[in-house]
Amino acid sequence: MMDGSPWTRRALAAMGIFGLAFLTVPLVIVIPMSFSSAKALTFPPPSLSLRWYETFFGDPRWMEAMATSTIVALISSVAALLLGGLAAYGLRRGTFAGRDWAEGNFMGPLIVPTIIVAIALYLGLAKIGLLGSFVGLVAAHTLLNVPLVIMVLGVAIRAFDARIEQVAWSLGASWWYTVRKVMLPNLAPSVFAAWIFAFIGSFDEVIVTSFIAGKYETVPKKMFNELILEVNPTITAVATLLIALTVLALAAVALTLSRAGKLKPTLV
Amino acid sequence: MNSIKRFEGFGFVAPLLVLMVVAFNAPIVYMLGLAFWEKGQGFTLEHYEDLFEAPVYLRVLGNTMRIALIATIANVIIGYPLAHWMRGLGSRARMIAIALVVLPFWVSILVRTYAWIVVLGNGGLVNRFLQWTGLTDAPVSFLYNELGVTIGMANVLLPFLVLPLFAAMIRIDDRLLQAAASLGAPPRTIFWKIYFPLTLPALAAGTLLVFILCLGFYVTPAILGGGRVPMISNLLDTLINQIPRWEQASAISTILLIVTLVIFAAYRRLDRKASA
Repeated sequence: MMDGSPWTRRALAAMGIFGLAFLTVPLVIVIPMSFSSAKALTFPPPSLSLRWYETFFGDPRWMEAMATSTIVALISSVAALLLGGLAAYGLRRGTFAGRDWAEGNFMGPLIVPTIIVAIALYLGLAKIGLLGSFVGLVAAHTLLNVPLVIMVLGVAIRAFDARIEQVAWSLGASWWYTVRKVMLPNLAPSVFAAWIFAFIGSFDEVIVTSFIAGKYETVPKKMFNELILEVNPTITAVATLLIALTVLALAAVALTLSRAGKLKPTLV
Repeated sequence: MNSIKRFEGFGFVAPLLVLMVVAFNAPIVYMLGLAFWEKGQGFTLEHYEDLFEAPVYLRVLGNTMRIALIATIANVIIGYPLAHWMRGLGSRARMIAIALVVLPFWVSILVRTYAWIVVLGNGGLVNRFLQWTGLTDAPVSFLYNELGVTIGMANVLLPFLVLPLFAAMIRIDDRLLQAAASLGAPPRTIFWKIYFPLTLPALAAGTLLVFILCLGFYVTPAILGGGRVPMISNLLDTLINQIPRWEQASAISTILLIVTLVIFAAYRRLDRKASA
């Protein structure tokens, strides 16, 4: 209908493929570079080696950053999931006044530029003496991931028929029992997806962390600081590991959601 | 509405609300207040006056606007054909294309920015290609200038434009286009008179979203600009971490926040229209 001549079609395909290449080339380049034996960043690598992985895993500072990142991501993603999940339920099922206002506020960290959140938290935490504290770091990561959790779980709860819960209550089930035995089994794929998204979100967070983490080094913060100073090939190994982690996590999400037939509503 | 209904479900929201008020709203309000405060003097507009008197701030602001605008336009030029092309793909190819758009979206922004150092460096892929084809003799410097920052930002933000645009294009009914074709409209007319206007709200919404995100960009200009392409965020970093002038940083943040919220309100209106 709009295809027009074969020439137009070919031009469109060329532009589309260029767009996809533009998006993915950076990722495709970094992976082989990480196996390079050379210190200079030349592509393709002159020969292959694992030296940058050895440097990474042999460096106690990188390992410590890895541990910090993992712990912060674990605690903050679970906290975001619990608080955000409860809130999403209240927002979808509740009738209290000011729901739109509350939801808008919960989406705030997504709308307000992260640099402003970082500065506000820096000033606020400095004021109460929690700048550079573990509590401050975890709280910041938690609230940054709340919007995603609410978005994913909000869609899932809306799609779940409220009458099923009402039946459980009318049969005498307690609220907690209904959540455990009726809601969670049905929402499990979305809960898993929300948790993974929150985990990745926290694991990759760099701006707020750079401002408020003080002596705590996370992987992205260390990467960022090293990248500003010099180009160090160890970063390619870290980057490749992060890409692998993301691909695995997203594949797990896609698999879980498609098994439950919920892939499409979550994607678009 | 009775009083029980008015609070029903509030208990579920309350724990998160407490966290948000303490750790998000309060710090932002505190920051806004700091910009209007001077020790021993109370309320003042001095910090805002300083902003408009110092040419460095205005220059950074102009820089930021220009880079954000160019990166947004580049996004539209690359993103619209990409989304349109994806719409016409078969379902299997389309799934692969979606996956290729979604994956970079989730990969750390640091990784994606870092990769451009490898691709755009003096001995990088692009320069080697340009020299091999004889287009240039000496390497073109892409890094540590505005060009590199713009390319990096366009790359990071492209999924934010492509995904909603693609979603809007998918919703356009093929029969509408067939009807136009059967009435004798040439492909060009169908595209410009029917298809394009239907994608316009989503395009406008996506464009505004990308523009807001550009304004607050921090990581990419810091890495690909090498300190030579200061944008608002990097200026804020300097005012907080290097020469502590918190009040000035608060004043700039306040302006950036207001600009962002105004554009976001426009985005929300368009987005509602696009998904209606």
